[in-house]
Amino acid sequence: MAAPLVAERLTRLFDDRVAVRDVTLSVNAGEIVALLGPNGAGKTTTMRMLAGLILPTAGRISINHIELSEATAGMARATVGLLTEAPGLWERLTVRLNLLTYARLHGIADPKSRVDATLRTVELIDRADDLAGKLSKGLKQRVAIARALLHEPPVLLLDEPTAGLDPASARHMRDLVLALRSEGRAVLVSTHNLAEAEELADRIAVLKTELLAFDTPAALRSGSGGSRVVIELEGSKERLDLAVKDVSEIPAIVAKLVADGARIMRVTPDQRSLEEVYLQLVGEQR
Amino acid sequence: MTLPLRSGQVASFKWYRVLALARKDARELLRNPGAIAPPIVMVFGSLFPAFLVIVGVPMMVGETFEESGEFAEEAARAAGMIPELAGLSGNALVQTFLFHQFSLLLLLVPIVAAMALATHAVIGEKQSKALEPLLATPISTLELLAAKTMTPFLFALGLTWAAVMLYVLGAGMLAEPGVWRAIVGPRLLIMFGLLGPLVELAALQVSVIVSSRSNDPRSAQQLTGLLILPITAAFIAQLMGVFIVGPTVMLLAAVGCVVLNSLLLWLGVRVFQRETILTRWK
Repeated sequence: MAAPLVAERLTRLFDDRVAVRDVTLSVNAGEIVALLGPNGAGKTTTMRMLAGLILPTAGRISINHIELSEATAGMARATVGLLTEAPGLWERLTVRLNLLTYARLHGIADPKSRVDATLRTVELIDRADDLAGKLSKGLKQRVAIARALLHEPPVLLLDEPTAGLDPASARHMRDLVLALRSEGRAVLVSTHNLAEAEELADRIAVLKTELLAFDTPAALRSGSGGSRVVIELEGSKERLDLAVKDVSEIPAIVAKLVADGARIMRVTPDQRSLEEVYLQLVGEQR
Repeated sequence: MTLPLRSGQVASFKWYRVLALARKDARELLRNPGAIAPPIVMVFGSLFPAFLVIVGVPMMVGETFEESGEFAEEAARAAGMIPELAGLSGNALVQTFLFHQFSLLLLLVPIVAAMALATHAVIGEKQSKALEPLLATPISTLELLAAKTMTPFLFALGLTWAAVMLYVLGAGMLAEPGVWRAIVGPRLLIMFGLLGPLVELAALQVSVIVSSRSNDPRSAQQLTGLLILPITAAFIAQLMGVFIVGPTVMLLAAVGCVVLNSLLLWLGVRVFQRETILTRWK
């Protein structure tokens, strides 16, 4: 079955400036894809295009099997939940009124019960009648994610969902994102947090105007310059430092050394971190 | 309902989305004293001069207009141009004439109210960074524009009509018998049933356009405040006897407002493009 979110050869110009060039990626149902890239790399522009907010200058986008165009954008947006970088709540209104307005904008049949059900999902039902402006940043972010979930979209686009949150709130948010995946939703998360990307994502897309890489975290680590393995032998001060394409090659190497009579004291796979891979890709090595 | 858009496309216009957002705006405005205080102050500010001059001053000097002869000549001249003055004489004629003259000041209420409420409705969304999540819903930019003008329009119109009712009520209580009846007529109906809403709509549209380029309601209001100038100039000119604003002049002004509003709508729709809002509104 085709992925609910597909982008092919996306290019977006703002006047003469290229914000995004030739980006192709997809997000499957029940998959989390992390979108990484330095500031100004085009992540927000890409998210906005994938949410049906702005149209690409070239290329195609399919959102829940709707080909995005000016005529279909409204329909496509109805099937996407977007968590924007800033929560963007109406601070003079209560949490419930914030969400009720969005439920009505989406034309939800019984907006009040849907709002309550969504507030229960994000564990905010006890704060429903609080003014949005009185909430902490973490709670505001939870209201914002409730807003993105109200219309039960199969595709979710989360722009830096844990930025500026304390560790406990960030943990809660990550758990929520993982729960969304287990519900079978396609989730695209834009983040600067590499550890978070590694923890959450099934695949990682690295963007710097163009798509520099798009693969699983393990494949990115091994594919970009590969891994190394350090083997210490008994009775020898020297260590074997070998380059391997993938850590899965290590057992075969060890077996061969043992077969040749080597007495192995220690084997240390030395896989490159995602941070090293990322910095190499975006050309910002320390 | 379907509306033709540019390039021959057709998008459906859903009133439930407009109403959802307009309701939200109304709730926010009621909780925002900074937005609703200036229009309410303006209501009393526009009523005060008329009652001061027509009722207060004669009481203070202990002499009616009939006795002092003040404005008698202008009132007699206006009787030929304002049908509601026909049949009146003496103090009642002068008072009615002055109430008609001062009623022009009430046109400032829809302008100030529209300005104050619309700038808050648009800039408030910018300040709270609520526009992007809003635009991520199926709402069209035309629906957004309609919602953003509906609440300020209805609030401002309600305030204007409330001011007019207070004006007539005040005349009924404080002026000569029959004056209030002579105030209510075609001139007042044209002024506040047709010209007032059109002037208000123009003020609203200017406010929305200016607000798209501003992050501070006050600076946006200073610019849109320029709309007050023609009304103030007309008020001063007619007080000085340069001309009398009769029903015909008002109908002509209404036609001018229709043209102005069409131009502003064209401009407003261009400003209210999704991409412009997301990428250029700072």
